[in-house]
Amino acid sequence: MDVSQYLEIFLDETKEHLQSLNTQILELEQDSENMDTINEIFRAAHSLKGMAGTMGFKRMQNLTHDMENVFSEVRNGNIKVQPNMIDILFQCLDALEEYTSSIQESADEGTNDNEPLIKALNDILNGGGGDAASGGAKKEEAKAETPAPAANDKEKWREIKLTDTEKSLYEAAKAEGKNLYGITVKVQETCILKAARAFLVFKALEEHGEIILSKPSSQDIEDEKFDFDFSVITVSDASLDTLIAAIKNVSEIEDAFGSALTDADFAGIEASKEDAAAEEAPAEEAPKKEETVAQPPAKKETPAKTEKKAVSKPVVNRTVRVDIEKLDSLMNLVSELIIAKNSLVSATNSDEANHNNFSEHIEYLESVTTSLHESVMKVRMVPIESVVSKFPRMIRDLQKTLGKKMELYMTGEETELDRTVVDEIGDPLMHLLRNAADHGLESAEVRKERGKPEVGSIFLDAYQDGNNVVIEVRDDGNGIDVDKVRAKAIERGTITPEQAENMSSKEIIDLLFLPSFSTAKQISEVSGRGVGLDVVKSKIEALSGEVEVKSKLGEGSTWIVRLPLTLAIIQALMVTVGGEKYAISLGSIQTIEDIPANEIQFVQSKEVITLRGNVIPIIRLNDVLDIESTKSPEDNLMVVIVKKGDKLAGLVVDELIGQQEIVIKSMGKYISKCKFISGATILGDGEVALILDANALI
Amino acid sequence: MDELKIGTNNGSMQYIVIKIGDESYGINISYVENISRMVHITRVPKVASYLKGVINLRGEVIPVMSLRLKMGLDDDVFTKASRIIILKLEQAGTIGVIVDEVKEVVTLEEEQVEKVASDTSQDHANFVSSVGKCANGLISLLDLNVVATEKE
Repeated sequence: MDVSQYLEIFLDETKEHLQSLNTQILELEQDSENMDTINEIFRAAHSLKGMAGTMGFKRMQNLTHDMENVFSEVRNGNIKVQPNMIDILFQCLDALEEYTSSIQESADEGTNDNEPLIKALNDILNGGGGDAASGGAKKEEAKAETPAPAANDKEKWREIKLTDTEKSLYEAAKAEGKNLYGITVKVQETCILKAARAFLVFKALEEHGEIILSKPSSQDIEDEKFDFDFSVITVSDASLDTLIAAIKNVSEIEDAFGSALTDADFAGIEASKEDAAAEEAPAEEAPKKEETVAQPPAKKETPAKTEKKAVSKPVVNRTVRVDIEKLDSLMNLVSELIIAKNSLVSATNSDEANHNNFSEHIEYLESVTTSLHESVMKVRMVPIESVVSKFPRMIRDLQKTLGKKMELYMTGEETELDRTVVDEIGDPLMHLLRNAADHGLESAEVRKERGKPEVGSIFLDAYQDGNNVVIEVRDDGNGIDVDKVRAKAIERGTITPEQAENMSSKEIIDLLFLPSFSTAKQISEVSGRGVGLDVVKSKIEALSGEVEVKSKLGEGSTWIVRLPLTLAIIQALMVTVGGEKYAISLGSIQTIEDIPANEIQFVQSKEVITLRGNVIPIIRLNDVLDIESTKSPEDNLMVVIVKKGDKLAGLVVDELIGQQEIVIKSMGKYISKCKFISGATILGDGEVALILDANALI
Repeated sequence: MDELKIGTNNGSMQYIVIKIGDESYGINISYVENISRMVHITRVPKVASYLKGVINLRGEVIPVMSLRLKMGLDDDVFTKASRIIILKLEQAGTIGVIVDEVKEVVTLEEEQVEKVASDTSQDHANFVSSVGKCANGLISLLDLNVVATEKE
């Protein structure tokens, strides 16, 4: 039985449960009496335990088990929620997260037993008075209940047919001082993964000895071809109680019964064998023997196989959960696509008369593919909630480490983004929040002096804006001290004092995004650990997004992160430069202008044009791309005005081809040194066209 | 495939023999993904001159380099015989190399391959890791990882 196929689901669900535990425990800290929250926590802890048990992650199971015990006592009103308990619970969650990430990387939970945490949990339990005992009593109760089922159930293992092979094994085992046991295991009727349970039972037994026979056969058990019980004959030097205890350790096992095999059990063989021999001689016996001999090694193989598989395939594929409705609409669109294809086929087969029909079909096809694109995009979209929901916990921890009082307000958690973006955006946002907490917010005393509320506020707002999603991180702290940044930049030699004179405060603030520019007076644990704003910026830009900052000294600052809805497919303007085709993302294009050559003026020996009162520098793409323009200098210039933040620039191209939906392809690492080419795309004729990164050109 | 396996087991290797100028070179067949006819190569600006650009290989964008320029020879003249050999290398990933002609596949036994001392006076000498001797003369066997990683 191989549980690795459930690993993905396990990881997904574990993460979900951990997240919900995080949120709920935070709530519990605010309102320690809320029964709903406590129940919710208990349920999540319980399912976590069950899942970890199923997958055979014992350490994880132990830890969650003890957590569950604590919650159960809280639920029963035997223990009151205390601040230090919340701290311990959070540490437990961290430990569980560690297990999970280790499982994700290597399919193994690691070797950390987290004993101090388990001890702390038990201390909480014991601190609650004699309550811990009640837990134990309950267990005993449960035990007392179980031997109730009918006696013949217990003896099911006796139905296993014993043969000469077993007899010789039995005698050999006796000589070695080992015992043969027959054991019947009953699985709870609510159990869903019976085969998984059985596998764990087999594994547990194999730790103590060897399984000789099972009923049903191990193959049938693996295929879940059994009701709620199965029987095994095992040889072991451990006592029966040890084996039974080991079996019961597996969760969702209702009970296990067994006894040692004695000479009497084999007495029956002789009789039946004689019958058999009389009828069909050894012919039947031989294959049977082979079968039984073949079985034990086969069984041994299975655990080995699981391990091997687990090691060779450590990284779990990323998954997206999809609403079935979205899939239905996808399916519909695909069928429409087929219809469109068919009508095109018939159009090509029929006469010329139908020629005008042709374009109609193409239009239809176009509308279908557009909707298909939208649907697939929707499937890939996940709410940013999965990322931002860990932030309240982080702010809570920051409060303690920084000794500042602060509150995080979040809106727009339901805003959806492409899965790949959501996965990557966590770190930059976390950094911005830490930054706001550490550098932005003043200490309580200073805040009081300035007449602000003692508790600082940090806001995280997400919303959709056209084809972008905007995430704002705002604080009501000190804001950025432009003079300080300027002084620092001059001190570091980033800019000269003369340059500093001419720079606007916005330009000065933008210096913060340069590598290794930290204005923190001292490096604290929270920030200044080398991952600076430059990393935030480059990460967001890698996602084709942009980040800007607005700040007012004394009132706070706002960091605005703007991200594209999706990465894989974009609308682009196709242009030619020197006979080569290039794509420019439509998102960055403002307007397209036709400019007479004589309107070009020079400022600081750079070419500019004046457009509706704005002076816009122009960039001749043929120079940038090292190619001869196909146009003569007297011709009018085709200028594509692109925008980056507040800055505008005009890109001079030779010709416009038109707007097109393009699929972005990576160019591979071998050639990725070119900084203003963001990728490539494959055109309808199979040729490759490069995508110009307008942001990098400005 | 079986043939290849048997071949490698005995310490022999199969090589694709290509021609660049007048010389024959051998490329270890285990690195070769595909041999494609010349297709349109899209130039990529601001990269090393031996990188000719990128091509579309069944929906993937693959960088293509010129062995000729890499070796310091004249630029390629594309003819009907020109081919792009798509290689899959450990470090560089999938790349294509342009060759003048693909001639044949040869199997070389271990004793037919002779290591050459790399001549440090010549820049591009260490592209060739060893020389193979076969019926049709000598073949310089290319060390593809060196060819792909070395920068100009």
